[in-house]
Amino acid sequence: MALTLTCPVCGKRNGYEFRYGGEDKGPRPVEAGLTPAAWCDYVHMNKCTAGVQKEWWCHRDGCGSWFTTWRDTTQNLEVAKPEASK
Amino acid sequence: MTEIKRESPVQFKVSPLKVEARDNWTVALEYDEEGQGPWLVDLAHKTRWDLQDRKVGELTPCDLAVPEAPGECTFADNTLINRMNRTQASIFHLGAEAPGLPDFSGYTDVTESTVFLALFGPKAFFIAEKLTALDFLDPAKKAPFLYQGPFCHVPCQIVTLEKAADGSGGFLLTCSRGYGDSMVHAILEAGSALGLRPAGENRFNTWIQGLQG
Repeated sequence: MALTLTCPVCGKRNGYEFRYGGEDKGPRPVEAGLTPAAWCDYVHMNKCTAGVQKEWWCHRDGCGSWFTTWRDTTQNLEVAKPEASK
Repeated sequence: MTEIKRESPVQFKVSPLKVEARDNWTVALEYDEEGQGPWLVDLAHKTRWDLQDRKVGELTPCDLAVPEAPGECTFADNTLINRMNRTQASIFHLGAEAPGLPDFSGYTDVTESTVFLALFGPKAFFIAEKLTALDFLDPAKKAPFLYQGPFCHVPCQIVTLEKAADGSGGFLLTCSRGYGDSMVHAILEAGSALGLRPAGENRFNTWIQGLQG
């Protein structure tokens, strides 16, 4: 079976039902004193982790919810939240 | 006042035996040789509402409670209420007449923007499993329940109203209006080996009345 993801509304579903929304980069930076370079880094730069990373996904073909989950990019499998970040 | 004509997004290749004009729709009541089931019924004329509100769980459309958890449904007095997510529910009026749209900004009438089909009868879910990976016969689910997911690769709302382990029962399906003809073509093609036939509203009414006791 290819990638499956767990939607908070619909439960575990086929990965083809979802749209990838990129790495979770945390909250939007505060605008006061924000330099163009810092904003550009926030928007465009990614960590491209080889391992477990937190990501945004949208259940496009289902309920339409946006949610974050953890995925092991080396195996393309959804995994539980890593112990260190709990 | 100019007379309007409301068109279903779905066309069956066979012509109905009996039709009725209702609220500017042409409603097919009966088809020739409907067979012993399963049946596919076009319900485009049945009124459907979308309800969105931050506190949707506290609202009582048609004096019925909106279910608490997404995926749950309330079915009574020919009205079906499906909880979709934290802030949204869909409401299907399955009787001959529907009440007027309530005077509240959260309601949207989506009757003419969506396809609305019923597939029911013996082996109905054997047809469904050819077209979707969704598990309608999951023993953990008790009818009625809502699935939001792909059917023929099209995002749909699907409400299972009755199910049995032998694959019989039935469900209602809605999706965007533009998919109507392709959806019907795919379903009838998948069901041809199992005797699926287009049927009229009378057949659907008999089934629904049976479910409500």
